[in-house]
Amino acid sequence: MKEYDVIIAGAGIAGMTAAIYAVRAGKTVLMLEERVEGGQIINTIGIENWPGDMGVSGVDLTRKIMAQATELGAKVEYEEVTEVIKNDDGFLVKTEDDEYTCKAFIIASGTEPRKLSDEMMKDAGKRPVSYCATCDGALYKGKKVVVVGHGNSAEHEIKYLKGICSEVYNIHHDDPIPADAEAIFVAIGRLPLTDYLKGFVDLDEKGYVISDEDCKTSVPGVFVAGDVRTKELRQLVTAASDGSIAATNAIEYLG
Amino acid sequence: MELLDFYADWCGPCQMLKPTIEEFEKAHPEVKVTSINIDEEDELAEKYEVSSIPCLVVLKDGEEIKREVGVMPLKKLEKFVGV
Repeated sequence: MKEYDVIIAGAGIAGMTAAIYAVRAGKTVLMLEERVEGGQIINTIGIENWPGDMGVSGVDLTRKIMAQATELGAKVEYEEVTEVIKNDDGFLVKTEDDEYTCKAFIIASGTEPRKLSDEMMKDAGKRPVSYCATCDGALYKGKKVVVVGHGNSAEHEIKYLKGICSEVYNIHHDDPIPADAEAIFVAIGRLPLTDYLKGFVDLDEKGYVISDEDCKTSVPGVFVAGDVRTKELRQLVTAASDGSIAATNAIEYLG
Repeated sequence: MELLDFYADWCGPCQMLKPTIEEFEKAHPEVKVTSINIDEEDELAEKYEVSSIPCLVVLKDGEEIKREVGVMPLKKLEKFVGV
């Protein structure tokens, strides 16, 4: 059995910051990441609200933070956490490939884009559906596309696509898709990645992990950081802030 | 067996996938890996109807047998290709 003081589910900005804090306090730390470190920010080309590194890309920022965490001694495995169980010594963390134990557990698994409804997928037919304008926008140079959604992120996608496409329509999540739109870009909010935590910690009705600014959850020894937590402002700096608080409280819990 | 990796320089997830592709290539010389910049080789991207990147396509005897969109770690890539 592989034992760690602290296991962190998710290696986005919150998870990597938590790892830096915990490992600097002399704890053994493992990050478990399902896909790739960085999380949502890897889709962003130029970041202007991360202090001290004007215009840095999400990829470069991610690489810098991960290099910092691993140089300090944190470990990372690319496995999806499937279940967490409380045992006598702490927690048993199961992944698709392996099992680990830890004394403190930090949830930093983030969110994923809310998917288009089945009805709208039918309406889309064979037309491509994308959840990332900066990834796929350039495939539709000079073509007509549609953005579904009306929030801040939808506005951002529309602005980006207007610089590339000949026409950018904007519709609500229950409107018909314009017949001449060649691709559909979706920005209808995000959903927390917490299926593996059902019955383990308290979640709100949308699935976010319930916690105050102290990043403590309903289970002693379990902390939460980043977009997956119930909070007002989901930003890089608040994710990093959560990471530091969750790790500091985990360190205090470990004694 | 052949693996096509459709990418672009401005695509963040594609950049994150790059070191994984390189690791895969080293570990599995039996699979021919071709990285295709969709801005420079748009005809190939069109031929394979690439609509979202990063896009990974597995070919067997020149025929597409499966594809996946999005970044993935090495273990999942190996499972996906079937090596």
